[in-house]
Amino acid sequence: MKTLTKIALVLIPTITLSATLSGTANAHDPKFHVKKAEKANCSGMDHSKMDMKDPVAVAMMKKCMKQAKAAKKAMKGMDHSKMKKDEHSSKKTDGHNAQDH
Amino acid sequence: MKISKLLLLLAVLGLGAGTTVMYSGIVNVAADEPHSDLVYWLLEETRENSIAKASRNIVVPDLSDPELLLTGGTDYEFMCSTCHLKPGQKESDMSLGLYPAPPNLALTHEDHGHEEHGDDDADQTARKNFWVIKHGIKASGMPAWGITHDDQRIWAMVAFMKQLPNLTPEQYQVLTAID
Ligand code: HEC
Repeated sequence: MKTLTKIALVLIPTITLSATLSGTANAHDPKFHVKKAEKANCSGMDHSKMDMKDPVAVAMMKKCMKQAKAAKKAMKGMDHSKMKKDEHSSKKTDGHNAQDH
Repeated sequence: MKISKLLLLLAVLGLGAGTTVMYSGIVNVAADEPHSDLVYWLLEETRENSIAKASRNIVVPDLSDPELLLTGGTDYEFMCSTCHLKPGQKESDMSLGLYPAPPNLALTHEDHGHEEHGDDDADQTARKNFWVIKHGIKASGMPAWGITHDDQRIWAMVAFMKQLPNLTPEQYQVLTAID
């Protein structure tokens, strides 16, 4: 009985503390305030109207060119033909997928 | 002899008054309770003169490279806009809740009624902005970014801030987006 009391004396405050602490951690979940990394919205730009002496216009062009290049590069890394084949073949051969149909 | 006694008495009285105010707890430090006009004026003058003096000898580099707007823009969006707002945004938790309030840096100086003391040329503003970003402002929400960022990153933000009041929300979005 005495050891049980001792265990309770240690455990109850520990559990209470950790529960409240994780509770505050949840309230301050960084996800609430974290910003989403947005891509530049380049579709509205009219390049012909831009004044290439204006540093803002030049910077915007640079940003959008960089973004377009990065998008191309990302596409290159993917082998689309392979992806499709894998997906189809796995669906056909994998018995688990039978339930889905 | 008489004058020195009088001075001593005044000093003791002054110290007593100061200590009483300090320990009585009558000074309200709540951020949602503005300073009196006098205290506000005292603090503002002290701050403005301190920044002007400390930034006097800073040499402003060439800030015309468009590339600066890209690094400076992204940094501004992620590090500053929650407090200092951006084109098309009028308020935030921070802009409303902090005291002293962070000025809306997307407005021109005339717009937010922030008085510039002394000569108001572009270099002077750039110097002051650089110093404030690098060193921060004591007992306000303005952090010292120089502890974690090198001078080049800070100058890029200064360059971006020069353009900021003239940007449309669309231009701001493109310049500050992550690529
Ligand atoms: C947590 C809120 C907060 C953040 C984040 C913040 N600031 Fe500030 N900033 C303030 C406050 C508050 C003041 C006003 C201090 C005062 O009046 O004493 C200020 C003042 C300034 C000033 C002086 C403005 C003037 O006209 O006197 C500049 C410049 C500035 N901040 C730039 C920046 C930049 C650039 C960043 C991002 C790197 C930034 N701040 C991030 C709160 C913030």
